[in-house]
Amino acid sequence: MPGAPLTRGLDPGAPAGSSAASPAPRAPQATPRLAPENDRVSSPARSGRPTRLHRAVFQPIGDEGRAALVERRIAEAIIAGVLPSGERLPAETELARSFGVAPATAREALLALRERGLIVTRRGRHGGSFVSDDADPAAFARRTLVETSRVALRDLAAHYLAITAAAVELASRRADPSEIGAIRARLERVRDDDLAAWRRVTDDTQIELAALGQSARLTREQMRLQGELSPFFALIDTDADARHRNRAALLAVLDAVSDGDEQRAVALTRQKVQSCVDWLIDLRERTTS
Amino acid sequence: MTVTEPVTASSAVAVVTEYFGRAIDSLASWTDVFADDLRRARAAGPVTTDVLDELVEPYARRTFDELDLPVYGAGFIAALDSLADARSHLAWWQGADRAKLVLASQSVNKEHIDYSELEWYRVPQATGHPHVAGPYVDYLCSDEYTITIAAPVALDGEFVGVAGLDLLIDQVERDLLPRLRGFGDDLSIVNGVGRVLLSTSARRETGDSIRGAALEGFVRGACPGMALEVLTAR
Repeated sequence: MPGAPLTRGLDPGAPAGSSAASPAPRAPQATPRLAPENDRVSSPARSGRPTRLHRAVFQPIGDEGRAALVERRIAEAIIAGVLPSGERLPAETELARSFGVAPATAREALLALRERGLIVTRRGRHGGSFVSDDADPAAFARRTLVETSRVALRDLAAHYLAITAAAVELASRRADPSEIGAIRARLERVRDDDLAAWRRVTDDTQIELAALGQSARLTREQMRLQGELSPFFALIDTDADARHRNRAALLAVLDAVSDGDEQRAVALTRQKVQSCVDWLIDLRERTTS
Repeated sequence: MTVTEPVTASSAVAVVTEYFGRAIDSLASWTDVFADDLRRARAAGPVTTDVLDELVEPYARRTFDELDLPVYGAGFIAALDSLADARSHLAWWQGADRAKLVLASQSVNKEHIDYSELEWYRVPQATGHPHVAGPYVDYLCSDEYTITIAAPVALDGEFVGVAGLDLLIDQVERDLLPRLRGFGDDLSIVNGVGRVLLSTSARRETGDSIRGAALEGFVRGACPGMALEVLTAR
Protein backbone atom coordinates (compact mmCIF):
# COMPACT_ATOMS: atom_id res chain seq x y z
CA MET A 1 0.00 0.00 0.00
CA PRO A 2 1.70 3.19 -1.11
CA GLY A 3 1.52 6.28 1.02
CA ALA A 4 -1.05 8.00 -1.15
CA PRO A 5 -4.04 9.42 0.73
CA LEU A 6 -7.43 7.84 0.14
CA THR A 7 -8.77 11.05 -1.18
CA ARG A 8 -7.48 14.44 -1.96
CA GLY A 9 -10.82 16.11 -2.12
CA LEU A 10 -10.66 18.11 -5.28
CA ASP A 11 -7.44 16.57 -6.42
CA PRO A 12 -7.24 17.56 -10.05
CA GLY A 13 -5.28 14.41 -10.72
CA ALA A 14 -8.61 12.63 -10.83
CA PRO A 15 -11.51 14.80 -11.90
CA ALA A 16 -9.97 16.87 -14.65
CA GLY A 17 -11.99 15.14 -17.27
CA SER A 18 -13.84 11.87 -17.07
CA SER A 19 -11.03 9.49 -17.84
CA ALA A 20 -8.63 11.93 -19.43
CA ALA A 21 -5.93 10.95 -17.01
CA SER A 22 -3.02 13.26 -16.63
CA PRO A 23 -0.48 12.67 -19.35
CA ALA A 24 2.28 13.95 -17.11
CA PRO A 25 5.15 11.53 -16.93
CA ARG A 26 5.15 9.51 -13.78
CA ALA A 27 8.35 8.21 -12.35
CA PRO A 28 8.26 4.54 -11.47
CA GLN A 29 6.95 3.88 -8.00
CA ALA A 30 9.77 4.20 -5.55
CA THR A 31 10.08 1.43 -3.06
CA PRO A 32 11.20 2.31 0.45
CA ARG A 33 14.60 0.93 1.14
CA LEU A 34 14.17 -0.11 4.70
CA ALA A 35 16.26 -3.13 5.31
CA PRO A 36 15.36 -4.59 8.70
CA GLU A 37 18.91 -5.73 9.27
CA ASN A 38 20.19 -2.20 8.90
CA ASP A 39 20.87 -1.14 12.47
CA ARG A 40 21.02 2.55 11.74
CA VAL A 41 17.52 2.94 10.46
CA SER A 42 15.67 0.12 12.10
CA SER A 43 16.25 0.30 15.80
CA PRO A 44 12.50 0.29 16.59
CA ALA A 45 12.05 -2.56 14.12
CA ARG A 46 14.82 -4.45 15.85
CA SER A 47 12.95 -4.14 19.10
CA GLY A 48 10.00 -5.69 17.29
CA ARG A 49 7.82 -2.61 17.74
CA PRO A 50 8.27 -0.16 14.87
CA THR A 51 6.32 2.96 15.67
CA ARG A 52 3.92 4.50 13.19
CA LEU A 53 5.92 7.70 13.15
CA HIS A 54 9.09 5.77 12.43
CA ARG A 55 7.44 4.11 9.44
CA ALA A 56 6.21 7.45 8.15
CA VAL A 57 9.80 8.64 7.81
CA PHE A 58 10.50 6.02 5.19
CA GLN A 59 7.28 6.29 3.20
CA PRO A 60 7.84 6.74 -0.51
CA ILE A 61 8.21 10.39 -1.31
CA GLY A 62 5.77 10.02 -4.16
CA ASP A 63 5.94 9.25 -7.81
CA GLU A 64 5.36 12.74 -9.04
CA GLY A 65 8.14 14.64 -10.68
CA ARG A 66 8.60 18.34 -10.29
CA ALA A 67 6.73 19.12 -13.50
CA ALA A 68 3.79 17.09 -12.23
CA LEU A 69 3.85 19.06 -8.97
CA VAL A 70 3.76 22.36 -10.84
CA GLU A 71 0.99 20.99 -13.05
CA ARG A 72 -0.99 19.90 -10.02
CA ARG A 73 -0.65 23.24 -8.25
CA ILE A 74 -1.98 25.15 -11.27
CA ALA A 75 -4.67 22.57 -12.02
CA GLU A 76 -5.89 22.80 -8.43
CA ALA A 77 -6.18 26.57 -8.74
CA ILE A 78 -8.11 26.31 -12.01
CA ILE A 79 -10.46 23.64 -10.70
CA ALA A 80 -11.08 25.64 -7.54
CA GLY A 81 -11.84 28.73 -9.59
CA VAL A 82 -8.89 30.63 -8.08
CA LEU A 83 -7.61 31.09 -11.62
CA PRO A 84 -10.86 31.83 -13.51
CA SER A 85 -11.62 31.26 -17.18
CA GLY A 86 -9.71 33.64 -19.40
CA GLU A 87 -7.09 34.49 -16.78
CA ARG A 88 -3.63 34.80 -18.20
CA LEU A 89 -0.93 32.68 -16.57
CA PRO A 90 2.49 34.18 -15.89
CA ALA A 91 4.99 33.65 -18.69
CA GLU A 92 7.00 30.45 -18.73
CA THR A 93 10.18 32.05 -17.40
CA GLU A 94 8.32 33.90 -14.66
CA LEU A 95 6.49 30.72 -13.73
CA ALA A 96 9.79 28.84 -13.53
CA ARG A 97 11.33 31.51 -11.32
CA SER A 98 8.31 31.70 -9.05
CA PHE A 99 8.09 27.93 -8.54
CA GLY A 100 11.86 27.61 -8.31
CA VAL A 101 12.09 25.10 -11.16
CA ALA A 102 13.91 25.01 -14.50
CA PRO A 103 12.16 26.66 -17.46
CA ALA A 104 11.97 23.27 -19.17
CA THR A 105 10.04 21.94 -16.16
CA ALA A 106 7.56 24.83 -16.30
CA ARG A 107 7.16 24.19 -20.05
CA GLU A 108 6.45 20.51 -19.44
CA ALA A 109 3.79 21.40 -16.85
CA LEU A 110 2.10 23.87 -19.23
CA LEU A 111 2.10 21.25 -21.96
CA ALA A 112 0.37 18.77 -19.67
CA LEU A 113 -2.23 21.37 -18.64
CA ARG A 114 -2.88 22.11 -22.30
CA GLU A 115 -3.38 18.44 -23.08
CA ARG A 116 -5.88 18.20 -20.23
CA GLY A 117 -7.79 21.09 -21.76
CA LEU A 118 -7.35 23.30 -18.68
CA ILE A 119 -5.41 26.00 -20.51
CA VAL A 120 -5.12 27.24 -24.05
CA THR A 121 -2.17 28.93 -25.65
CA ARG A 122 -2.51 31.85 -28.01
CA ARG A 123 0.27 33.12 -30.21
CA GLY A 124 1.11 36.66 -31.18
CA ARG A 125 1.67 39.92 -29.37
CA HIS A 126 -1.16 39.41 -26.88
CA GLY A 127 -0.43 35.72 -26.69
CA GLY A 128 0.39 33.51 -23.75
CA SER A 129 -1.28 30.78 -21.74
CA PHE A 130 -4.86 31.37 -20.60
CA VAL A 131 -7.26 29.41 -18.45
CA SER A 132 -9.61 27.61 -20.81
CA ASP A 133 -13.12 29.00 -21.34
CA ASP A 134 -14.78 25.74 -20.39
CA ALA A 135 -12.99 25.40 -17.07
CA ASP A 136 -16.12 25.52 -14.88
CA PRO A 137 -15.33 25.15 -11.16
CA ALA A 138 -18.93 24.23 -10.25
CA ALA A 139 -18.98 21.38 -12.75
CA PHE A 140 -15.62 20.15 -11.45
CA ALA A 141 -16.89 20.34 -7.87
CA ARG A 142 -20.11 18.42 -8.59
CA ARG A 143 -18.20 15.72 -10.41
CA THR A 144 -15.63 15.46 -7.62
CA LEU A 145 -18.38 15.26 -5.02
CA VAL A 146 -19.97 12.33 -6.80
CA GLU A 147 -16.62 10.62 -7.30
CA THR A 148 -15.61 11.02 -3.65
CA SER A 149 -16.82 8.32 -1.28
CA ARG A 150 -18.95 9.24 1.71
CA VAL A 151 -16.29 8.05 4.13
CA ALA A 152 -13.68 10.21 2.43
CA LEU A 153 -15.96 13.26 2.59
CA ARG A 154 -16.60 12.73 6.31
CA ASP A 155 -12.87 12.34 6.85
CA LEU A 156 -12.11 15.53 4.95
CA ALA A 157 -14.68 17.33 7.12
CA ALA A 158 -13.10 15.88 10.27
CA HIS A 159 -9.71 17.23 9.23
CA TYR A 160 -11.17 20.61 8.35
CA LEU A 161 -13.01 20.76 11.67
CA ALA A 162 -9.93 19.82 13.68
CA ILE A 163 -7.88 22.63 12.18
CA THR A 164 -10.65 25.23 12.10
CA ALA A 165 -11.73 24.56 15.69
CA ALA A 166 -8.15 24.76 16.96
CA ALA A 167 -7.58 28.01 15.08
CA VAL A 168 -10.83 29.53 16.31
CA GLU A 169 -10.03 28.51 19.88
CA LEU A 170 -6.64 30.22 19.73
CA ALA A 171 -8.18 33.29 18.11
CA SER A 172 -10.74 33.53 20.93
CA ARG A 173 -7.86 33.78 23.33
CA ARG A 174 -5.69 36.11 21.34
CA ALA A 175 -7.67 38.34 19.00
CA ASP A 176 -8.46 41.91 19.94
CA PRO A 177 -12.18 42.79 19.53
CA SER A 178 -11.18 45.59 17.14
CA GLU A 179 -9.61 42.99 14.83
CA ILE A 180 -12.83 40.96 14.76
CA GLY A 181 -14.74 44.20 14.16
CA ALA A 182 -12.72 44.84 10.99
CA ILE A 183 -13.48 41.34 9.65
CA ARG A 184 -17.15 41.77 10.49
CA ALA A 185 -17.34 45.10 8.70
CA ARG A 186 -15.89 43.54 5.56
CA LEU A 187 -18.37 40.64 5.70
CA GLU A 188 -21.26 43.00 6.12
CA ARG A 189 -20.27 45.02 3.07
CA VAL A 190 -20.66 42.00 0.79
CA ARG A 191 -24.12 41.00 -0.40
CA ASP A 192 -24.47 37.27 -0.08
CA ASP A 193 -26.32 36.99 -3.39
CA ASP A 194 -23.09 37.91 -5.18
CA LEU A 195 -21.93 34.32 -4.91
CA ALA A 196 -18.32 34.75 -6.06
CA ALA A 197 -17.69 37.73 -3.79
CA TRP A 198 -19.43 36.02 -0.90
CA ARG A 199 -17.34 32.86 -1.27
CA ARG A 200 -14.13 34.90 -1.45
CA VAL A 201 -14.90 37.00 1.63
CA THR A 202 -15.98 33.91 3.56
CA ASP A 203 -12.79 32.02 2.71
CA ASP A 204 -10.74 35.07 3.65
CA THR A 205 -12.61 35.40 6.94
CA GLN A 206 -11.79 31.83 7.89
CA ILE A 207 -8.12 32.37 7.04
CA GLU A 208 -8.00 35.66 8.93
CA LEU A 209 -9.56 34.03 11.97
CA ALA A 210 -6.80 31.43 11.85
CA ALA A 211 -4.19 34.18 11.51
CA LEU A 212 -5.61 35.94 14.56
CA GLY A 213 -4.77 32.80 16.52
CA GLN A 214 -1.15 33.86 15.88
CA SER A 215 -0.12 30.39 14.71
CA ALA A 216 1.67 30.31 11.35
CA ARG A 217 1.33 26.53 11.10
CA LEU A 218 -2.42 26.49 11.72
CA THR A 219 -2.90 29.39 9.33
CA ARG A 220 -1.01 27.62 6.55
CA GLU A 221 -3.04 24.46 7.11
CA GLN A 222 -6.28 26.47 7.18
CA MET A 223 -5.32 28.07 3.87
CA ARG A 224 -4.60 24.71 2.30
CA LEU A 225 -7.84 23.14 3.52
CA GLN A 226 -9.89 26.22 2.67
CA GLY A 227 -8.52 26.02 -0.86
CA GLU A 228 -9.40 22.34 -1.02
CA LEU A 229 -12.94 22.75 0.32
CA SER A 230 -13.85 26.12 -1.18
CA PRO A 231 -15.32 24.60 -4.39
CA PHE A 232 -17.57 22.38 -2.25
CA PHE A 233 -18.61 25.35 -0.13
CA ALA A 234 -19.41 27.19 -3.38
CA LEU A 235 -21.91 24.42 -4.20
CA ILE A 236 -23.60 24.96 -0.84
CA ASP A 237 -23.73 28.71 -1.53
CA THR A 238 -26.11 28.09 -4.45
CA ASP A 239 -28.77 27.08 -1.88
CA ALA A 240 -30.03 30.40 -0.50
CA ASP A 241 -31.33 28.92 2.77
CA ALA A 242 -28.10 27.11 3.48
CA ARG A 243 -26.15 30.23 2.57
CA HIS A 244 -28.15 32.38 4.99
CA ARG A 245 -27.68 29.81 7.75
CA ASN A 246 -23.94 29.74 7.12
CA ARG A 247 -23.76 33.48 7.13
CA ALA A 248 -25.53 33.68 10.48
CA ALA A 249 -23.32 30.90 11.85
CA LEU A 250 -20.15 32.66 10.76
CA LEU A 251 -21.27 35.92 12.37
CA ALA A 252 -22.06 34.01 15.57
CA VAL A 253 -18.56 32.49 15.57
CA LEU A 254 -17.08 35.97 15.15
CA ASP A 255 -19.13 37.22 18.11
CA ALA A 256 -17.93 34.36 20.28
CA VAL A 257 -14.29 34.98 19.30
CA SER A 258 -14.72 38.68 19.98
CA ASP A 259 -16.16 37.86 23.42
CA GLY A 260 -13.19 35.62 24.09
CA ASP A 261 -15.56 32.68 24.58
CA GLU A 262 -13.46 29.73 23.36
CA GLN A 263 -16.03 27.04 24.11
CA ARG A 264 -18.89 28.76 22.32
CA ALA A 265 -16.68 29.57 19.32
CA VAL A 266 -15.61 25.93 19.03
CA ALA A 267 -19.14 24.54 19.51
CA LEU A 268 -20.56 26.88 16.84
CA THR A 269 -17.74 25.95 14.47
CA ARG A 270 -18.48 22.27 14.97
CA GLN A 271 -22.19 22.77 14.20
CA LYS A 272 -21.39 24.78 11.12
CA VAL A 273 -18.98 22.23 9.65
CA GLN A 274 -21.40 19.43 10.50
CA SER A 275 -24.28 21.09 8.68
CA CYS A 276 -22.06 21.80 5.64
CA VAL A 277 -20.91 18.20 5.29
CA ASP A 278 -24.49 16.95 5.78
CA TRP A 279 -25.63 19.24 2.98
CA LEU A 280 -22.90 17.94 0.68
CA ILE A 281 -23.66 14.32 1.49
CA ASP A 282 -27.36 14.89 0.82
CA LEU A 283 -26.51 16.35 -2.58
CA ARG A 284 -24.22 13.43 -3.28
CA GLU A 285 -26.95 10.93 -2.33
CA ARG A 286 -29.52 12.65 -4.54
CA THR A 287 -27.10 12.71 -7.47
CA THR A 288 -25.93 9.13 -7.19
CA SER A 289 -29.20 7.38 -6.33
CA MET B 1 10.28 60.90 13.79
CA THR B 2 12.92 58.25 14.10
CA VAL B 3 14.94 57.83 17.19
CA THR B 4 18.26 56.09 16.97
CA GLU B 5 20.10 55.84 20.22
CA PRO B 6 23.62 54.56 20.59
CA VAL B 7 23.92 50.78 20.57
CA THR B 8 25.21 50.85 24.11
CA ALA B 9 21.64 51.48 25.17
CA SER B 10 21.08 51.56 28.86
CA SER B 11 17.41 50.57 28.89
CA ALA B 12 15.28 47.90 27.29
CA VAL B 13 13.20 50.64 25.64
CA ALA B 14 16.36 52.02 24.03
CA VAL B 15 17.42 48.56 22.78
CA VAL B 16 14.03 47.92 21.20
CA THR B 17 13.75 51.43 19.75
CA GLU B 18 17.23 51.28 18.25
CA TYR B 19 16.57 47.83 16.73
CA PHE B 20 13.33 48.67 14.91
CA GLY B 21 14.54 52.24 14.34
CA ARG B 22 17.20 50.78 12.04
CA ALA B 23 14.43 49.42 9.82
CA ILE B 24 12.55 52.73 9.83
CA ASP B 25 15.73 54.65 8.97
CA SER B 26 16.51 52.22 6.18
CA LEU B 27 13.11 52.78 4.56
CA ALA B 28 13.40 56.53 5.06
CA SER B 29 16.69 56.45 3.15
CA TRP B 30 14.94 55.55 -0.11
CA THR B 31 11.31 56.64 -0.01
CA ASP B 32 12.05 60.19 -1.20
CA VAL B 33 14.37 59.23 -4.05
CA PHE B 34 11.96 56.51 -5.05
CA ALA B 35 9.13 59.05 -5.18
CA ASP B 36 11.28 61.08 -7.61
CA ASP B 37 11.85 57.96 -9.74
CA LEU B 38 8.11 57.41 -9.80
CA ARG B 39 7.42 61.00 -10.81
CA ARG B 40 9.82 60.64 -13.76
CA ALA B 41 8.29 57.29 -14.73
CA ARG B 42 4.80 58.81 -14.71
CA ALA B 43 5.96 61.64 -16.93
CA ALA B 44 7.38 59.09 -19.38
CA GLY B 45 4.22 57.02 -19.77
CA PRO B 46 1.75 54.71 -18.03
CA VAL B 47 3.20 53.10 -14.90
CA THR B 48 2.45 49.39 -15.12
CA THR B 49 3.33 46.60 -12.68
CA ASP B 50 6.42 45.80 -14.79
CA VAL B 51 7.58 49.42 -14.73
CA LEU B 52 7.03 49.55 -10.97
CA ASP B 53 8.91 46.28 -10.36
CA GLU B 54 11.89 47.63 -12.25
CA LEU B 55 11.89 50.85 -10.22
CA VAL B 56 11.58 49.09 -6.85
CA GLU B 57 13.98 46.19 -7.31
CA PRO B 58 17.27 48.06 -6.71
CA TYR B 59 15.95 49.54 -3.45
CA ALA B 60 14.65 46.18 -2.29
CA ARG B 61 18.00 44.52 -3.04
CA ARG B 62 19.85 47.31 -1.27
CA THR B 63 17.67 46.75 1.81
CA PHE B 64 18.74 43.10 1.95
CA ASP B 65 22.40 43.91 1.38
CA GLU B 66 22.95 46.94 3.56
CA LEU B 67 20.60 46.77 6.51
CA ASP B 68 21.99 45.12 9.64
CA LEU B 69 18.77 43.21 10.40
CA PRO B 70 17.54 39.74 9.42
CA VAL B 71 15.44 41.07 6.51
CA TYR B 72 13.13 38.37 5.16
CA GLY B 73 11.28 40.43 2.56
CA ALA B 74 11.43 43.93 1.13
CA GLY B 75 9.76 46.07 -1.49
CA PHE B 76 6.92 48.44 -2.22
CA ILE B 77 3.16 47.95 -2.17
CA ALA B 78 1.27 50.17 -4.59
CA ALA B 79 -1.74 52.19 -3.47
CA LEU B 80 -4.97 50.66 -4.80
CA ASP B 81 -5.90 51.86 -8.30
CA SER B 82 -2.61 53.70 -8.73
CA LEU B 83 -1.23 51.54 -11.57
CA ALA B 84 -2.17 51.42 -15.23
CA ASP B 85 -2.68 47.68 -15.53
CA ALA B 86 -3.72 46.31 -12.12
CA ARG B 87 -5.90 47.29 -9.19
CA SER B 88 -3.28 46.25 -6.64
CA HIS B 89 0.31 45.12 -6.73
CA LEU B 90 3.13 44.06 -4.47
CA ALA B 91 6.59 44.72 -5.87
CA TRP B 92 8.14 42.41 -3.32
CA TRP B 93 11.19 40.18 -2.95
CA GLN B 94 11.57 37.63 -0.19
CA GLY B 95 13.13 34.49 1.22
CA ALA B 96 16.62 33.08 1.25
CA ASP B 97 16.86 33.45 -2.54
CA ARG B 98 15.16 36.87 -2.51
CA ALA B 99 12.69 35.68 -5.12
CA LYS B 100 10.10 37.97 -6.66
CA LEU B 101 6.69 37.39 -5.12
CA VAL B 102 4.17 36.16 -7.68
CA LEU B 103 0.81 35.87 -5.95
CA ALA B 104 -1.14 34.38 -8.82
CA SER B 105 0.92 31.20 -8.80
CA GLN B 106 0.37 30.41 -5.15
CA SER B 107 -2.23 28.01 -3.92
CA VAL B 108 -5.00 30.05 -2.31
CA ASN B 109 -6.77 33.05 -3.77
CA LYS B 110 -4.21 35.48 -2.50
CA GLU B 111 -4.44 37.81 -5.46
CA HIS B 112 -7.96 38.71 -4.37
CA ILE B 113 -6.95 39.67 -0.88
CA ASP B 114 -7.63 43.33 -0.30
CA TYR B 115 -4.59 44.61 1.52
CA SER B 116 -5.97 48.09 2.05
CA GLU B 117 -7.24 47.12 5.50
CA LEU B 118 -4.12 45.34 6.64
CA GLU B 119 -2.23 47.07 9.40
CA TRP B 120 1.03 47.60 7.49
CA TYR B 121 -0.84 49.42 4.72
CA ARG B 122 -3.69 51.08 6.59
CA VAL B 123 -1.71 52.72 9.39
CA PRO B 124 1.04 54.43 7.32
CA GLN B 125 -1.65 55.57 4.87
CA ALA B 126 -3.80 57.04 7.65
CA THR B 127 -1.04 58.63 9.72
CA GLY B 128 1.53 59.56 7.10
CA HIS B 129 4.19 58.06 9.37
CA PRO B 130 6.23 54.86 9.38
CA HIS B 131 4.75 52.01 11.39
CA VAL B 132 5.95 48.80 13.01
CA ALA B 133 3.08 46.38 12.27
CA GLY B 134 2.56 43.05 13.94
CA PRO B 135 3.40 40.52 15.14
CA TYR B 136 0.95 38.84 12.76
CA VAL B 137 0.73 35.72 10.62
CA ASP B 138 1.48 37.08 7.18
CA TYR B 139 -0.70 34.93 4.92
CA LEU B 140 -0.10 37.23 1.98
CA CYS B 141 3.70 37.11 1.61
CA SER B 142 5.89 35.13 3.97
CA ASP B 143 3.29 32.71 5.40
CA GLU B 144 5.23 33.12 8.63
CA TYR B 145 4.87 34.93 11.93
CA THR B 146 6.08 38.34 10.93
CA ILE B 147 6.77 41.96 11.82
CA THR B 148 6.42 44.43 8.95
CA ILE B 149 7.98 47.87 9.09
CA ALA B 150 6.23 50.11 6.58
CA ALA B 151 6.63 53.74 5.53
CA PRO B 152 4.21 55.75 3.41
CA VAL B 153 5.34 57.12 0.06
CA ALA B 154 3.72 60.32 -1.17
CA LEU B 155 4.08 62.08 -4.48
CA ASP B 156 3.10 65.75 -4.37
CA GLY B 157 0.75 65.03 -1.49
CA GLU B 158 -0.79 61.95 -3.12
CA PHE B 159 -0.41 58.65 -1.24
CA VAL B 160 1.06 56.20 -3.76
CA GLY B 161 1.86 53.21 -1.57
CA VAL B 162 4.08 51.93 1.21
CA ALA B 163 7.72 50.92 1.26
CA GLY B 164 8.22 48.00 3.57
CA LEU B 165 10.37 45.24 4.94
CA ASP B 166 9.57 42.03 6.79
CA LEU B 167 11.33 40.52 9.78
CA LEU B 168 10.38 37.04 10.98
CA ILE B 169 9.64 36.85 14.70
CA ASP B 170 11.76 33.71 14.83
CA GLN B 171 14.82 35.75 13.87
CA VAL B 172 13.90 38.81 15.92
CA GLU B 173 13.71 36.52 18.96
CA ARG B 174 17.22 35.23 18.29
CA ASP B 175 18.52 38.81 17.91
CA LEU B 176 16.73 40.62 20.69
CA LEU B 177 16.05 38.16 23.46
CA PRO B 178 19.69 37.71 24.55
CA ARG B 179 20.06 41.50 24.67
CA LEU B 180 16.91 42.01 26.75
CA ARG B 181 17.55 39.29 29.35
CA GLY B 182 19.85 41.53 31.38
CA PHE B 183 17.04 44.03 31.95
CA GLY B 184 14.72 41.63 33.79
CA ASP B 185 13.31 38.13 33.82
CA ASP B 186 9.70 39.19 33.17
CA LEU B 187 9.96 41.87 30.55
CA SER B 188 7.84 41.88 27.40
CA ILE B 189 7.63 43.87 24.19
CA VAL B 190 3.95 44.42 23.30
CA ASN B 191 2.31 46.15 20.33
CA GLY B 192 -0.55 48.62 20.16
CA VAL B 193 -3.22 46.00 20.92
CA GLY B 194 -1.23 44.49 23.79
CA ARG B 195 0.06 41.50 21.83
CA VAL B 196 3.33 40.05 23.05
CA LEU B 197 6.12 40.24 20.49
CA LEU B 198 8.77 38.76 22.77
CA SER B 199 9.14 38.17 26.45
CA THR B 200 12.09 37.33 28.66
CA SER B 201 9.66 35.20 30.68
CA ALA B 202 9.48 31.69 29.27
CA ARG B 203 5.84 31.48 30.42
CA ARG B 204 4.63 34.37 28.29
CA GLU B 205 3.95 33.22 24.76
CA THR B 206 4.55 35.37 21.77
CA GLY B 207 1.07 36.09 20.37
CA ASP B 208 -0.66 36.17 23.76
CA SER B 209 -2.14 39.42 24.99
CA ILE B 210 -1.49 41.57 28.01
CA ARG B 211 -4.30 44.08 28.16
CA GLY B 212 -6.94 45.55 30.44
CA ALA B 213 -6.58 44.73 34.10
CA ALA B 214 -3.57 42.50 33.42
CA LEU B 215 -1.54 45.65 32.66
CA GLU B 216 -1.66 46.74 36.30
CA GLY B 217 1.23 44.53 37.27
CA PHE B 218 3.68 46.21 34.88
CA VAL B 219 5.74 49.34 34.51
CA ARG B 220 5.14 50.55 30.96
CA GLY B 221 7.75 52.17 28.76
CA ALA B 222 6.71 53.50 25.34
CA CYS B 223 9.16 53.22 22.44
CA PRO B 224 9.23 56.63 20.74
CA GLY B 225 8.26 56.69 17.05
CA MET B 226 6.69 53.24 17.03
CA ALA B 227 3.58 51.67 18.56
CA LEU B 228 5.55 49.36 20.83
CA GLU B 229 5.84 49.28 24.60
CA VAL B 230 8.17 47.49 26.96
CA LEU B 231 6.30 46.05 29.96
CA THR B 232 8.39 45.21 33.03
CA ALA B 233 6.78 43.22 35.83
CA ARG B 234 6.62 45.20 39.07
